[in-house]
Amino acid sequence: MYYKSKGYRIFSIFNHILLILVALSCLLPMLHLLAQSFSSKTAINGNLVSFWPVDLNVDAYVKTFNNSNFTGSMWISVIRTIMGTFISMFIITTAGYALSKDFRGRNALMWIFIFTMLFSGGLIPSYILVTKLGLKDTIWSLVLPGAFGAYNLILIMNFFKTIPKALEEAAFIDGASFFVIFRKIYLPLSLPGLATVGLFIMVGNWNAWFDGILYMSNTTDYPLASFLQTVVVQGSAQSMALSQSEAAALSEQSIKAAQIFISTLPIILVYPFLQKYFVKGIVLGAVKE
Amino acid sequence: MKKTGVLLTTTALMAGLLAGCGSDGKESNAAKSVLKDGKYDPAITISIAKQQDENAGKYINGESLNDNVLTRWGVDNLGINIQTTLLGGDASQYNTKLRLALTGSEKLPDVLPVYDTSLENDLIQSGLVKDIADDINKYMPDRLKEIYKQYPTTFNPVVQDGKVYGMAISPNLTEGQVLLIRQDWLDKLNLKAPTTIDEFETVIAAFTNDDPDGNGKNDTYGFDFSGKDSYNTGWVSDSVMIFSAFTGKNLPGQWYNDNGKLTYGSVADGTKEALAKLQDWYSKGYLNKELATQGAWDALADFTEGKAGIIMGRPWLYGSVKDVETNVKGAKIKAYPTIKGVNSDRTYQSGQQNDGVFMFNKDFNNMEAFFLYYDKLYDAAFGTGDFKYGYAQGYDYDIVNDEVVFDSKKFNTPLDAAQGVGKMAFTKNTPSVDGPGQSFYDLSKGMEASNGVLIRSASNDETTKEGYVISYENSEALLPNAFNGPPTKTMQTSWEQLNTMEKEVFTKIIYSKEPLSAYDDFVKQWHEKGGTKITEEINEWYNNASKVDVMSQMGLK
Repeated sequence: MYYKSKGYRIFSIFNHILLILVALSCLLPMLHLLAQSFSSKTAINGNLVSFWPVDLNVDAYVKTFNNSNFTGSMWISVIRTIMGTFISMFIITTAGYALSKDFRGRNALMWIFIFTMLFSGGLIPSYILVTKLGLKDTIWSLVLPGAFGAYNLILIMNFFKTIPKALEEAAFIDGASFFVIFRKIYLPLSLPGLATVGLFIMVGNWNAWFDGILYMSNTTDYPLASFLQTVVVQGSAQSMALSQSEAAALSEQSIKAAQIFISTLPIILVYPFLQKYFVKGIVLGAVKE
Repeated sequence: MKKTGVLLTTTALMAGLLAGCGSDGKESNAAKSVLKDGKYDPAITISIAKQQDENAGKYINGESLNDNVLTRWGVDNLGINIQTTLLGGDASQYNTKLRLALTGSEKLPDVLPVYDTSLENDLIQSGLVKDIADDINKYMPDRLKEIYKQYPTTFNPVVQDGKVYGMAISPNLTEGQVLLIRQDWLDKLNLKAPTTIDEFETVIAAFTNDDPDGNGKNDTYGFDFSGKDSYNTGWVSDSVMIFSAFTGKNLPGQWYNDNGKLTYGSVADGTKEALAKLQDWYSKGYLNKELATQGAWDALADFTEGKAGIIMGRPWLYGSVKDVETNVKGAKIKAYPTIKGVNSDRTYQSGQQNDGVFMFNKDFNNMEAFFLYYDKLYDAAFGTGDFKYGYAQGYDYDIVNDEVVFDSKKFNTPLDAAQGVGKMAFTKNTPSVDGPGQSFYDLSKGMEASNGVLIRSASNDETTKEGYVISYENSEALLPNAFNGPPTKTMQTSWEQLNTMEKEVFTKIIYSKEPLSAYDDFVKQWHEKGGTKITEEINEWYNNASKVDVMSQMGLK
């Protein structure tokens, strides 16, 4: 048996150590942040907090949830993520279904989509487009520009292609239309793929911050990631002009930590529910017949 | 049934798109506003661009950027509504947004605070900002004119061909840096605060080797500073004092006006000796071991933790590091003036006269309204008028039992932090005429705390107050950068490279990864790779900037 050989065991040990190290390098920063969020400002400024809270308190969380801008931004992020995911999934699945069939001009269309993967118009043209369409300062400016992703489309399309053609033909014979087949056969059968891509899109929407700062001209319209960006980035401000009060604001590390932690929580909570599809989705995508 | 659902979603999407298209309205101010008794009727709106500051997301009582205590005050008292129409996050995002606005995809706000000299130049070139020389002459109130008269060099970056395309944002010389020293360590080791470079060396050597915290471990060091971004941070965790001790007025990373000729500080005589000193100290463990990786703000942690004995910074820095007095039993910090140089002259530091400039949309016709509002904001600085004590009771100050209180924890409704109301209109920092700390100096000389500025200063803690007095007494030590213009032609192509090289060489020498002779190579290369050309161009810029007398044109002479 190959897994009993000495070489395999060494490989396995090495593999475990490596994966544990990788896992730790992801986990420890989060733990540090968590400890900071429960610690006092004094202890943090004195560099006394590592992975366990010092002067345990929940002030940072109380302040965060009492900050209407934080909760408001969180709400916008939730709406944006839900809307963005649904719109994206709608576009990508319908387009993916169509493109998984053979029809005239399919390759040309495909090339156009792939072209957008390789080259983008850049910041200025997209900004002008969004502004001239009047999307600025609306939630559409966050949701629409990124709704169609060629990469996700290809994933979904390939998933649809793995579904046996015979199923579709049988359904045709039973009198089903394209839409019925799409809805009743293709979508349920490719749940793992949908969940995987859906998660990508969801996380992408949740984490995107630049578009919020770019298209919103009022802080109260910022999604959470943009709000955090403006709050947290202050810490690296390197301007000579920093005044006393700005400096005081810079040192509120425990609040920043709490905000970062709260903001990552919802998306972490989504993972366990999608986990089973996620693994399956990747495996299925890898096996070709 | 489901088909209709799909259709509905699509329709909703399209409707959203179309509805959005319509909102690009171009309504015009039909009714003409008139200024009557210091108030516009009907109210006018001034749109502004804004780089977010620490107020981001910190408005109280559910207030927001465009609806807060100061904007409401403006509408009620002046008939002027300030509306932020362009908002950027940190400096680079803000500059990106201004550049995007330059593409003409939307209307440029009326008032544009700009903090980047090359962007200032681009705005001037674009022809979208107006020449305000006459407006300043006509509308700027006299007390503001007095202030701007004192800082003529702040106009340099915005003057082109005898036209004035902007003005400094609340010019005022910032406070200088002081030495914050662990007094308990000095006392324990029977040392005096250092006044010369040799004494400084003695103190940091003792702080490193003689176990000042008495824990029996060799875990302390003398001097804590940051070298990540520059060896001249200009505000906290600075090391510029050591350079200045050897170079006098030539500070690293800064241009010095040597009798009408501008020279670059990092390549000046004496820098090599300063680096030699730092290299020696670093190898002996007297300095912050991680200085090259820690930014100004991160470098403080060692001091606050009780590991380092000396740090430099603006006087208010005490408030940020005083946690050490809580964390470490018996710790006590005291502020001292910076040391003297090797030729027994004082040491110098970077002073700053303003934080960016105001520029104005060329279609903006309400300069008078702008100056009206701007002058009112200065009320707090002068301690006059509506803002005698501060901008808004219960926000940045409060009156408790007939006493003016600035400590937000003692307000009638206690706040975690006082609100920076003065920053909510156009300026990033509340306007000040206090110089490097005049109010503190006056108080120390026994002046009674009669207006907001003085009361506010008096409410600071002792160490901070002492620091400000030191800063004021040493205000001649503050040297503003002599070059504040847009990047010159050669700078655009090679400045970043030269800067990187400078940072690398300095750090490597201090870390002993390169011999001291690497500095000579650096100076040679600096000159060859564009430094000489840049120096020429900068001197040319300086001569041009000081050639045209725009000051009298603006009535500032």
